[in-house]
Amino acid sequence: MDALIALLLIVFMLVVLGSGLWIGLSLLGVAVVAMQFFTERPVGDAMVLTIWGSTTSWTLTALPLFLWMGEILFRSKLAEGMFRGLAPWLNRLPGRLLHVNVIGCTIFAAVSGSSAATCATIGKITLPELDKRGYPDRLAVGTLSGAATLGLLIPPSIIMIVYGVAANVSIAKLFMAGVIPGVLLALLFMGYIVVWALRHPEQIPAADAALTLRQKLHEGRHLLPVVALIGLVLGSIYTGVATATEAAALGVAGSLALSAIEGSLSRRVFVDGLASAARVYCMIGLILAGASFLTLSMGFIGLPRHLAEFIGGLGLSPFVLMVMLVMFFIVLGCFLDGISMVVLTMAVLLPTVEAAGFDLVWFGIFIVLVVEMAQITPPVGFNLFVIQGLTQREITWIARVSMPLFWLMCAFVLFVYLVPGTVTWLPGLMQ
Amino acid sequence: MRHLLDSIYAALAWLAMAALAAAFGIIALGVLARQLHWDIQGLDGYAGYAIAAALFLALPATFQRNEHIRVTLLMEKVSERWRRALQVWSLIAASALSLFLAWSCVRLVWMSRTTHDIAQTMDATPLWLPQMSLAIGAAGLALACLDATASHLAGRSFFKHAPAGEAARVE
Repeated sequence: MDALIALLLIVFMLVVLGSGLWIGLSLLGVAVVAMQFFTERPVGDAMVLTIWGSTTSWTLTALPLFLWMGEILFRSKLAEGMFRGLAPWLNRLPGRLLHVNVIGCTIFAAVSGSSAATCATIGKITLPELDKRGYPDRLAVGTLSGAATLGLLIPPSIIMIVYGVAANVSIAKLFMAGVIPGVLLALLFMGYIVVWALRHPEQIPAADAALTLRQKLHEGRHLLPVVALIGLVLGSIYTGVATATEAAALGVAGSLALSAIEGSLSRRVFVDGLASAARVYCMIGLILAGASFLTLSMGFIGLPRHLAEFIGGLGLSPFVLMVMLVMFFIVLGCFLDGISMVVLTMAVLLPTVEAAGFDLVWFGIFIVLVVEMAQITPPVGFNLFVIQGLTQREITWIARVSMPLFWLMCAFVLFVYLVPGTVTWLPGLMQ
Repeated sequence: MRHLLDSIYAALAWLAMAALAAAFGIIALGVLARQLHWDIQGLDGYAGYAIAAALFLALPATFQRNEHIRVTLLMEKVSERWRRALQVWSLIAASALSLFLAWSCVRLVWMSRTTHDIAQTMDATPLWLPQMSLAIGAAGLALACLDATASHLAGRSFFKHAPAGEAARVE
């Protein structure tokens, strides 16, 4: 196989994707064409056997269940309770209730696998409340879109499951690897709010009436359900009581129980949540099915191996390679969603990544961070779409107010590169 | 005819929801069984079949609600004529691919049936049974794609738009 065929295939793939053919079918189609023209194998049989194998995997089962859990919680009163529980504690902190965005997203991220779901669930409560009290809207919206990306980094995380299945890395380890970077990034965002509030004190509205400690603790009870749910899901994974898939089932059971107790679980809510989860899983699953066959097909042709040899031959330092990858992902993120980005990269770049000596758990967190940045850059950034739906503002304005957080994430990627222990320490403690 | 096709997609979507709920039930049962030291074998395999069924059976309904994602950057930029051309190309390519997929899935079921292929995992299920869901779902998708193409060329509407904010919660 020579460089010309590789180049031709990559261009073909970009053309097919760009033409508007549904992404899952595009991946499938490119794989079929590549296999038909460049190998002797029977295409159809290889295709369905690969798809059958990948769509029935035990690890993948965690994905639809975490999606379902998110759909149940989106329809519950969990986020409302979180606002009431958190707000009284933040009056003294510079920036006051703006921190509800960050802390709320961080906590909700620990029960939700997706960034857009976190954004929608937290934003529908905080944006109206902050607006009512007169907080500057560019900061309210900017911190929401930035902090909601923590939904990807803090476990459970749909995109980590996708990466783990594609790169054959333990989902439980990836989940644990995301905890410390997620908390650090949240603190970084809060630091940004504090600095901004100290420099523009006149723009932060007065505090709500102060409560006594007793009253604060009483309001804090609204946080108990979400804390219990986090303990159930992450606790069972960390202690090794449950695999990621089992923890997802526990999460579904817990969320159903929670919304039943608070009285928001009607028959309609249950059916809507299940239907929505089934369709979102179907959308993601078609992409995963297409990608699994694309990986096989590319492997037969030898494209990933040749690419790894080519890039390895350039003699780039890991740092330069990482910077190039970041730029590549940000460009790719201009027209692709995060899941497609991850599966496409894994189909083509996995040997390159391994040859460069990156730890695959570390690389998973790295790729999630970069996808997070792509979430808030136009034209394709799902958080921007969600906030547009919530606020009816221009997408370019939302992207502009999110930019400071984008730069903070860039700096954070560099930090994670320089101090890889922030990622690898916690999963290293697990048996 | 329109009503019949819509009911087929809706019925398959209901089956997909049942499969997803079943996957949850199976895994929850597994957790419970381990706590109580019951010996139930092969649950992992069944959970896998259930999510595969959920995925494939939901294909036509998800397609009809326009919730499968695609790159719209180019489509939004070009003139109305080009947009129509791109849509026709996408629909025809999708129909061809989904027909090929459906045919291959049917072939898979038929081969598993004739060779008496049995799962390597503890459940030892005859594989053609769970593989039926792939064949039915893929056939449903092919039908929906052909339906969409025919509707588009005849100037009728096929896609049902989801309520705002519904499709966006993907990642």
